[in-house]
Amino acid sequence: MVAIDATDVSKRYGTETALDRVELTVEEGETFGFLGPNGAGKSTFINVLLDFVTPSQGSVEVFGHDCQREGVAARERLGVLPEGYSVFDRLTGRQHVEYAIRSKDADDDPIDVLDRVGIREAADRKATGYSKGMAQRLVLGMALVGEPDLLVLDEPSTGLDPNGAAEMRQILREENERGATIFFSSHILEQVEAVCDRVGILQNGELVAVDTIEGLRESMGGGTKLVITVDSLRNGTLETIRGVEGVETAVDGDESSNGDPTIEVTCTNDAKMDVVVELHSAGIDVVNFRTEEASLEDMFIEYTGARR
Amino acid sequence: MTWEVVARQDWSVTLGARSVKLLLGLLASVVVLAGYIYPIGAAEPVTTARFAPFVLEGLRFALPFVAVLLTYGAVAGDRESGAIRLSLSLPHSRRDVVLGAFASRAGLVTVATVASMLTAGWLVVYPFGDLVLGRFLVFLGLTALFGAVWCGLGLAVSLVAATRRRALVLAFALLFLFVVVWETAVAALTLGLNAAGVVDGELPGVGQFVTGLEPSLLFERATTGFVLSGESVAGPWYMSEWVALAVLVLWVVGPLGLAYHRFDGSDLS
Repeated sequence: MVAIDATDVSKRYGTETALDRVELTVEEGETFGFLGPNGAGKSTFINVLLDFVTPSQGSVEVFGHDCQREGVAARERLGVLPEGYSVFDRLTGRQHVEYAIRSKDADDDPIDVLDRVGIREAADRKATGYSKGMAQRLVLGMALVGEPDLLVLDEPSTGLDPNGAAEMRQILREENERGATIFFSSHILEQVEAVCDRVGILQNGELVAVDTIEGLRESMGGGTKLVITVDSLRNGTLETIRGVEGVETAVDGDESSNGDPTIEVTCTNDAKMDVVVELHSAGIDVVNFRTEEASLEDMFIEYTGARR
Repeated sequence: MTWEVVARQDWSVTLGARSVKLLLGLLASVVVLAGYIYPIGAAEPVTTARFAPFVLEGLRFALPFVAVLLTYGAVAGDRESGAIRLSLSLPHSRRDVVLGAFASRAGLVTVATVASMLTAGWLVVYPFGDLVLGRFLVFLGLTALFGAVWCGLGLAVSLVAATRRRALVLAFALLFLFVVVWETAVAALTLGLNAAGVVDGELPGVGQFVTGLEPSLLFERATTGFVLSGESVAGPWYMSEWVALAVLVLWVVGPLGLAYHRFDGSDLS
């Protein structure tokens, strides 16, 4: 069954286009990362999904329920951490979770939920006194109530320290193993890289790429990056390397620790040795040589930067 | 239906605020004070039925202010802060959120009114007065309805305003128009039309009906017709207590319904 099915979704505010004909399918059981710089339209898409916002065109379905026409039915199977929320005045953390339990007609124990997100000891304090990170944990806890089939999280690691972000990822993994589909947005790439099966990259309201991380690397020409430390760098060396078949880019890199110049080359896997051979025949000594997999960050910049 | 869950939530959040307790306390003390004073100054016989028009003079001011101050921020405030996003992320529809807020706030006003009215009723009856139970209960019902009208108006304002501040301005405009200047304006209008020679004496029937649409005037007419014994509302059928009752109900449903419709179609941003 399809967890999220977006068809031709557009949202315009006057002349501004926040979402531009987004087509997206998220399968049940997937962990899907929704990636993009701030203002790319990630939150707008999630707002449409939650019926906070009506799309100008197109529709989104969650487990076959139209998010606008059957919003309540769609949200019945959802756990949500929205953006731009605030906690309720004068209610404790425990009361927040109790509200979620009653609303979803679930039978979780509020203390267990708070324990799981790591704020058990703050259960009976007013949530307005929580730090941003604690509020984020609290709302994640509310989202986990009732074992939802789909978790929709908008920038879940906002306000969390690295430790908290790691705990959050761990919870997402556990939820995914339980069988929940996970859809979350982020502008922080390592988060997405660490847990996601597939990612979609949104840029200026347009979905510019949807693929697995491996797939994205594939599409980046094998995605191998060579960092070569050489004894010296001459005029024309970079041009020579760019001339090697299979090489995409060759740039002057940061100096190595002992002051030698480096060259950074992205190329297909097969071209690696050709590059070294080429350097050798140009009379340049290779001092050191390592390969890196292209990180998602490189891809991200490649995708979103190129379209600016 | 999940509006009960929202109502319960809203009830505990609202009642937790000191300002709300203060407002409800103010309302209750107006009523109880009226119950204390009435038997002292009133002409015989002292009855709960004749207490009704007496306390109504206080209620027509106190109840609109308390009800509106209690409701104007209900949705606008949560919308501004973002707390409404938590409610609407859960499987609640916007209708549930509106109904829940209305039930909880109108409920708080009703509980405060009824409790204080019972106390006042006891003060009237003890030791020399008479209890006219049926009519007293009818008056309680009318008072609750009048409170619901103003809760509905306050909530309607809350639904159409994007921020708490705008809601407050709109709410005070409504209070000013209906509670403060309405009767003076109607009197001035009558005087002016008389001076211009358009009418002689009172306004014609349609004019009386329209100028009598203000909620507290309807509340008064309904109270005169249903609660005071031996008196009936003079005038044509459309000035009767039954029409007043029906229009009061419309005042609850109409503005809230229109405002809900607008809220339902709007984007939360």
